[in-house]
Amino acid sequence: MNQIEYTNENIKFLKGVFRKYYFENKYFPYLYSIEKREFGYRKFDSLVVRHLSFKYIGELVAELVRNVPLDVYYSNAYYGFPSNPINEKQWEGADLIFDIDIKDLNIPCFHEHAYYICNLCGFVNSEQKLCINCNKGKTYDISIPCKKCFTAIKKEAAKLLEFLRYDLGIEEKFIEIFFSGNAGFHFHVNDPSMRNLDSNSRSNVTDYIIGNGFMCESIGVRKYRNGFMIKLPKSGIMNGWRKKIASSLGINQKSELKLKHLVEASGGYDGFRNEINRITKKFGVHIDSQVTNDIHRVFRLPGSINGKSGLTKTKCEDLESFNPNNDACMLSDSEVYINLKTKLKINLKNNNFKLDNVLEKVPSYVAVYLVCKGLATISKNQ
Amino acid sequence: MAKYPFLQEASDYIQETKFDFAEFDRPEMIHIINRAVEKLENELKGKIYSNLDEYEIEIMTFLVSLLLIKSIGLEEISKKCSLFEAMRVERFLSTDLSIERSQKKKLLVQKIFQELFNINIDFDSTSSICKLSIPDYLLRASKMHEQEWKLINRSIKDGYVYLDTDEAVRLIRNELSNLIYTRIKNMKVYEVPILIKSKADELRKKYSGRYVYRNQFKILEYPPCIKHAMEIINKGENLPHSARFMLATYMLAIGKTEEEVIEIFKNSPDYNEKITRYQVEHLAGKKGSHIKYSVPSCDRLRSEDLCFAVKECENLINPIQFGRRKLT
Repeated sequence: MNQIEYTNENIKFLKGVFRKYYFENKYFPYLYSIEKREFGYRKFDSLVVRHLSFKYIGELVAELVRNVPLDVYYSNAYYGFPSNPINEKQWEGADLIFDIDIKDLNIPCFHEHAYYICNLCGFVNSEQKLCINCNKGKTYDISIPCKKCFTAIKKEAAKLLEFLRYDLGIEEKFIEIFFSGNAGFHFHVNDPSMRNLDSNSRSNVTDYIIGNGFMCESIGVRKYRNGFMIKLPKSGIMNGWRKKIASSLGINQKSELKLKHLVEASGGYDGFRNEINRITKKFGVHIDSQVTNDIHRVFRLPGSINGKSGLTKTKCEDLESFNPNNDACMLSDSEVYINLKTKLKINLKNNNFKLDNVLEKVPSYVAVYLVCKGLATISKNQ
Repeated sequence: MAKYPFLQEASDYIQETKFDFAEFDRPEMIHIINRAVEKLENELKGKIYSNLDEYEIEIMTFLVSLLLIKSIGLEEISKKCSLFEAMRVERFLSTDLSIERSQKKKLLVQKIFQELFNINIDFDSTSSICKLSIPDYLLRASKMHEQEWKLINRSIKDGYVYLDTDEAVRLIRNELSNLIYTRIKNMKVYEVPILIKSKADELRKKYSGRYVYRNQFKILEYPPCIKHAMEIINKGENLPHSARFMLATYMLAIGKTEEEVIEIFKNSPDYNEKITRYQVEHLAGKKGSHIKYSVPSCDRLRSEDLCFAVKECENLINPIQFGRRKLT
């Protein structure tokens, strides 16, 4: 959803800053096989243009500088004819992409830095209910992620990386991690052996990573008459999810008796199944399965500006040291007056901003961030 | 070769012997034709034909079976016999892969996996465990509905899936069945030998009745996933795209008209008749790709958080199976 208030000042300012960025950053080093990709973009009036194709980066940059979109997307799929209608594109495979987002982690601090904006008048409310300003509009929430949020999402990203590297055996050179530019990370896997997986196969992978559908039988606990029996699988319990669960339960290939006692202690087969579900929830990763399973989707282009924040979708070389509010904040420092809708504190480019007044003079990157979030507008009087 | 008559070597053998179809009308071939009929009847009754003869006999029996199925000309019979032939082969493969079998036999099986299905599979010489790459596994296992085939229930390490040999063989059953089915479908027979044709006529007469008027059902109750989506729509709340897809494909699959399906979505907060009509017609296969979309499987709905299973959902693989009664 586009949160920007559609005023002449806002649009003129944002377009100017975005155009300058695309003019100065015209390389897109992480865009491979450009001629096989479908491109699309969202305009400032929220209209989406799709089915575009470019042969060279220069053509793409020219389009971005000319039309200045709010968001730029490209397909994970490789097509023979990327600009044709979807059923005539000739699908030739697709990168495997994973999306993790702070909002899916249910972090307790979320409400401490959430703002509830009216969908009709743009007023910032303190609670999620009918707007107290116009009494008509419904509110939607936006959030300014804090340090705790980023620590939590980076931990989740590290878990995902481990699954990809050690369970799925994907070589490091095929995995690229990007900060989405707002509140999450995108993992792009361009391993050629994974490219031809259909949607069902991808769904099988996402269930593996989330931890959906583990059966007690896989670790050797089977339903038997009114109770259960133990029969460990021939292929062992010391790999993959079986290992994660076995380690968590403190058992190995020789612990049949211990396993029997554990099942009895959890109240039999059904109780043990609940215990397994608890473990899979703990070790699974909160990815958005629909994103990964879709083989015709368009994704935010690495190196492009995220219209929800003004931050850039940025390659993350080292998860631990990556600082999204600094490393992905690439817009200019020139100052501009904004009208704030609420008091707030924010840290961008390693600078703290405590904004208490209705009219504030801030660097452009702060102004873009707040206008994109719907928390400020560009002042008419500069 | 006797166990695996679909291999290239078997076709080469027939070509080398310069065998002519007309030779099937010779009296000494009757026992081959009768054997093929016996095998087909077994398969049509749902049994695997387990007799194994010398390779010349097996290759000829296989060839006659294909001719018979082709001449019967019934899709269901082609599919059923292909599946049971695949299951017969599966038994032989399992035995050849057991620990006590020679390395030579294991190499033959490895060759079958590689040649026919383009799967590189490594067999451990000291155990009954083998490994194959995750993409090779996924492309096959994702077509299986039993939960045990989901990747999460498998032994996985460093990009490989570890299976016991019976499981590895089971994994290719569908593909093998499809391979045999495709062979039957693509066979170009200009003149079927008289004897085979008359046997095919008899079999058609005997079995065709079993395959008519199937799949006619009446839905008595919506499944819980559909009920839930309907409740949200009726409350005027927003349904995610995946739930709309499920709801529309389900309604079309149970025989609702496009108009009736469009009507269901009228209460959506973002309802737009033009867009809804296009999308429903698209799903019904009347617009765009002209492919009719199927209802997503229960497995897919579970992973998209759209499943609200109740006890009656046990063992179902698709919501379409819920609450239906066969029409008599």
